[in-house]
Amino acid sequence: MARARADLAERLGVKEGEVAEASVEDTDFPDANFGAALPDEMSAQMITPGWRIRLAAGGQTFEYRANRNRLRLFNYQGANHRVV
Amino acid sequence: MNRNNLFGHLALAVALIILAAFVGQMRRMDWRAHEPKPAPRADVQQPAQPEDADDADKDEPEDADDDADDAEVLVRFKPGTPQEAIDRITAQLNDRVEDRFEQIDNAEVVIADEDGLDVNEVVAEYRNQPEVLYAEPNFKIELEPGEDEVGEGPGLKPAYAAAGEHAHPSDPMFDDQWSLDNHGTRGGKEGADISAIKAWAKTHGSRKVVVAVLDTGVDYTHRDLVNNIWTRPASVPAYEDKELGSFDDGHGFDASDMDGDPMDDNGHGTHCAGIVGAEGDNNDGIAGVNWQVEIMPLKFLNAGGSGTVKDAIECINYAIDRKKAGVNLRVISASWGSTMYSRALEDAIKRAGEEGILFVAAAGNSASDNDRRQHYPSGYQLPNVISVAALTRTDNLASFSNWGVKSVHIAAPGAEILSTWPGNQYEEHSGTSMATPEVSGVAALVLALNPDMQMKELRERLLASVDKLPALDGKVASGGRINAAKAVKAD
Repeated sequence: MARARADLAERLGVKEGEVAEASVEDTDFPDANFGAALPDEMSAQMITPGWRIRLAAGGQTFEYRANRNRLRLFNYQGANHRVV
Repeated sequence: MNRNNLFGHLALAVALIILAAFVGQMRRMDWRAHEPKPAPRADVQQPAQPEDADDADKDEPEDADDDADDAEVLVRFKPGTPQEAIDRITAQLNDRVEDRFEQIDNAEVVIADEDGLDVNEVVAEYRNQPEVLYAEPNFKIELEPGEDEVGEGPGLKPAYAAAGEHAHPSDPMFDDQWSLDNHGTRGGKEGADISAIKAWAKTHGSRKVVVAVLDTGVDYTHRDLVNNIWTRPASVPAYEDKELGSFDDGHGFDASDMDGDPMDDNGHGTHCAGIVGAEGDNNDGIAGVNWQVEIMPLKFLNAGGSGTVKDAIECINYAIDRKKAGVNLRVISASWGSTMYSRALEDAIKRAGEEGILFVAAAGNSASDNDRRQHYPSGYQLPNVISVAALTRTDNLASFSNWGVKSVHIAAPGAEILSTWPGNQYEEHSGTSMATPEVSGVAALVLALNPDMQMKELRERLLASVDKLPALDGKVASGGRINAAKAVKAD
């Protein structure tokens, strides 16, 4: 959660305190990249358990997908970058 | 020709046909007596015999008849070796050609020794001949009465074959491998499996068949895999990369680090490899679809399970190179994908097909119709690609599995699949990733029995070897679940 909040704050150029936790839920993602692969990525097609983390900032909601080792920002409409 | 002469000629022709048929039948009976038996390779470890294996067979493995005292050896001459050369070699070695495998060509023969040598000495004699591709002992097995259609396959352990189709391997976790033998436990449906038990009555696979697992690498030290990992033979030169030069690809290739160490740092590739070929009947862990096979680990997916198109192509090019160098690489198992089309990747897979390599790929886990939104590489419309959907233990399409009556070809068990995991571990996982190596594994079983089968025929055989399922009607092109027994014609 802390990593997701820090990442979103960096992307949006806001302070971490301005990023609020909306929800966290356990879920199964369709592949190793949590269904959030970048355009040049191939993903192992194994169901991968993790968390769907929704954060709110600036009146918008953002969805992170994560497990213990990796974090992905799903469907981000901005200058995306790889979050391992 | 007058009428009387015509009848006379007809009578003579009929008599000759009857005579020829009688001689042919006698010849056939003689052939059955010397029918090729499973012949374990002398240079690889064979599965251990169980304690209760037939002691009489151990002491006198060739007690079938008087001729059995003569050492028999299966010899495959190199393609194009003239008959005169075969006759000359056998004569020089004081042997005779006992029989030939008509279905292959006359280049593979059974040699009977006539100068009292031990079978291993005869094998050594033939291996020293430059015209010989391979030579191996012709071991004999005893078949159960009425089971003359089983027990002919390479790598078949005699005691197991004699036990009949209901015998199970000694692997202690086998009961949890529903994809191979579904007893209906844990809410499953009895018989909703790939019919591995029946298939194993015919063959357990062969270490002459190489399956590349193109993935996150493989834990090639896993005790249930180590004996089935491909090792580059001395006859195949080390891989040479145009930029990096030559490096030792002893057990495969890692395109992400561009070296010859495809160790798995994720687990996914090791899981897929175990499905294809965890060593079977070794009193340890699980059984693969193939008890014996050669798995070539190819790594391009990183520790997180993702990788680039470029690195995937590097691995495919490596596989093609090794095939051209003489490795019997017949199948690439690809449990990964994306919705992004890549012409370069498609071309690489096409080149693999031109080298006779079947490419088995996961249909994807987005619970969507691939005919509407494609998934690659499974979606490339190439003659060497098979796209695989995933089934549950109740023979239903898994909730996550993609489908597509045009672009997904076949289904296989892919939910809650137990297999190997790095560090001598075992885990259950789900995905079309797990269904894919089930099909790759069956392909390898077919090739174990039919080493000269062309890729096109292999693909057709697999897609025709299904159990049609209502749940797959209108979902996958074949409408069914892969059936290993049908594929090896044991059913």
